[in-house]
Amino acid sequence: MSRSLPQMVADPADVSSRDGGGRLRLPATRGWRIKETPAAWLLITPVIILFGISVVYPLFDTLRLSFFDIKGLAPAKWVGFGNYVTLFNDATFRNTLLTTLIFTLGTTVISVSLGWALAMLCAFAPVHTTPFRGMMFVTFGISEAVSGYMWLNILRPDKAGLLNAIIGNFIPGFAHSWLGDPNTALWSLIFVASWSGVGLPLMLCFAAVQSIPRTVLEAAYMDGAKPTSIMRHIMMPLSLPGVRVAIFINLLGALRAFDIIYVMTGGGPVRATETVGYFMYRESMTQFKLGYGAAATVVLLVAVLVISIPAIIQRTAGAK
Amino acid sequence: MFNRSLRRRTVLAGVMLAALAGVSPSVLAQDISGDLVILQWQTGTDGQMWKDVEAKFMEMHPGVTIKEFQPAGGQGDARGGMRTALMGGEVVDIIINTWPAFRAELVNAGILRPIDDQWASFGWDDKLSQSWRDLGSIDGTTYGITYTYGDRSAIWYKTAQLEKAGVTPPKTWDEFIASFDKLKAAGYPAPVVIPAKYWAHTEWFETLLLRTAGVDVAAQLAAHQIPWTDPKVKAALMKYAEMLQAGCCAPAATMLAIEEPYPTLYTAEESNYMLFGMWTNAALKNDLKLEEGVDYSIFQFPALGMGFDDTSSVDTKELNVTTNGANPAAADAFLDYIVSPEASAIMAGYGYASPSSAADGSLLGPVQQIATGAVSSSKVQFVLGDLLPGDLVDEYRVQLQKFLQNPTEATVDEVLAAIEAKAATAY
Repeated sequence: MSRSLPQMVADPADVSSRDGGGRLRLPATRGWRIKETPAAWLLITPVIILFGISVVYPLFDTLRLSFFDIKGLAPAKWVGFGNYVTLFNDATFRNTLLTTLIFTLGTTVISVSLGWALAMLCAFAPVHTTPFRGMMFVTFGISEAVSGYMWLNILRPDKAGLLNAIIGNFIPGFAHSWLGDPNTALWSLIFVASWSGVGLPLMLCFAAVQSIPRTVLEAAYMDGAKPTSIMRHIMMPLSLPGVRVAIFINLLGALRAFDIIYVMTGGGPVRATETVGYFMYRESMTQFKLGYGAAATVVLLVAVLVISIPAIIQRTAGAK
Repeated sequence: MFNRSLRRRTVLAGVMLAALAGVSPSVLAQDISGDLVILQWQTGTDGQMWKDVEAKFMEMHPGVTIKEFQPAGGQGDARGGMRTALMGGEVVDIIINTWPAFRAELVNAGILRPIDDQWASFGWDDKLSQSWRDLGSIDGTTYGITYTYGDRSAIWYKTAQLEKAGVTPPKTWDEFIASFDKLKAAGYPAPVVIPAKYWAHTEWFETLLLRTAGVDVAAQLAAHQIPWTDPKVKAALMKYAEMLQAGCCAPAATMLAIEEPYPTLYTAEESNYMLFGMWTNAALKNDLKLEEGVDYSIFQFPALGMGFDDTSSVDTKELNVTTNGANPAAADAFLDYIVSPEASAIMAGYGYASPSSAADGSLLGPVQQIATGAVSSSKVQFVLGDLLPGDLVDEYRVQLQKFLQNPTEATVDEVLAAIEAKAATAY
């Protein structure tokens, strides 16, 4: 669809929309002169104002705060890059970076690969699997706080916990504290976050598979390709654009994860599940070290940008 | 006619003036009116108690309307939400506070108004002893009026469980440790429940520190006048290790996942003892509908025989008034009311003890009677965790979680060194 977009917005008959080489030139490339486009400015101004208030101002204020030492209600003291130096010398913060990396990669790999695999299977019977896909997508719509409380009970440390009770049917007396054991707490969270996030990759990958021209699949079938070969050599490669979007969205979501950690573990036990997002909250809101917390926020922002920019560039290049 | 009228008015004015000169400020306070905003962060049963306390005040002062400002919560520590509200420009008249370190922070930020003048004019010396006043003071200036206090060295138990196991409330540490086997034999796998998800695992250390080293050492540690690596601190933690090694508790991973101990003890019946704040009384009475003194009770922390068995850990809740509050007269009147018999009676009904001598002690239930008796006969020290700087208290709690995972001497040395390293930068 995106390849046909230029033809739709630019009239091929209009010679002014083609450059000397005959390549299409979009109207936007003529330049934005306010006299020519007053209505456009009028329409976009509220958005710019709202964006400035809700995004740009907080962003710059956070950056400003990160250069101050603010403890509790005491007056702020300018420390320059002091908070950043402290941050990268802080063993707790370094540990949160590692935890964030594991959590982000873990949830992304599990939810995207599971979503992709399920999308492949659903593609063989798209109509019959509609209710199933709907149910899977509902998990994505449930608030993380709500699903966190639900999983808190499923993962209860005693025999009354649903998971322990199920395992207890096979291993009598089994009881494991999934969220209290530092060895399993992070992976339990990754599992819960993946469960919560699998719906979106499923839908994105399914949409990508559905956009594969039917003729390609039919030709392969006529040539005697088996379903597994069709899946491996046609459906998987041609659904990669959907997978890329799913990876991008999951990475960003996992990097910023907070609600589920707050509800289920509070960053514990012994900081085993403390990600940068939770560290930022703890430093800023619990200990009220606003400057230090702001520095952590800026680091998280940079990480998000590092991941976002290549994806945005790729999308932009794809659109061109 | 004119002269007679003038004379009558003069006499009336004189009588009124004389009457006004003779009445106490608390009577004058009857004329207060307007909105009174309270920064109130308690929820559940405690929140309901506050509603009742406020309703009674409004009944006594019909011109006053109390408005609560509820800050955002924060996993057992409301200070983050309170700071956000105050920094965000929220104007309140009264702040409910339970952290001495937070009071100091508010004073340093110029948010609190001293109440020494009110203390004299309202005559609070008649209701609160000097020691209560000292608890609410910083460098000789009074900022807080204590309205309730709790015994944090009381061990809670369910009476039927101990009877079933043939255990009487232990008086000594050895009896306490020895009771674990009997309780386990009676079907209770983990006699002591320690909810270590956030902070409650530090309670045992804090009372053990008092009982092994005394209130002076605890106060010095709170002020970082002695290091955390001091042998006396280590000795307290080793006593804690002794309890853990005696098989008191569930595995560390279970403790680290528990936030609230009541279900383990009173619903699932897997445990028997817990060391938790006096708000437990309100929760058990009102939420679990248990009968105080019949279904549950307390005994004071068992004696260690190390010369400090007359010590107890306590917490208090106080009211502070703000410098920018819109209704200081009503705020002062509320402070006077909170130590009155009327407010104390409402709090007693919920299971809370008032330090006011105007309170009717007979309204307290049997558990609170034990607790107040224990506190009044003890040398007390405020809960250590609430005295530490915010930066340090977090590390303190996390390091004691590490200790629970492996309560050996090597771990004790390691965690105390880690806390000391943080303390070196926190003051």
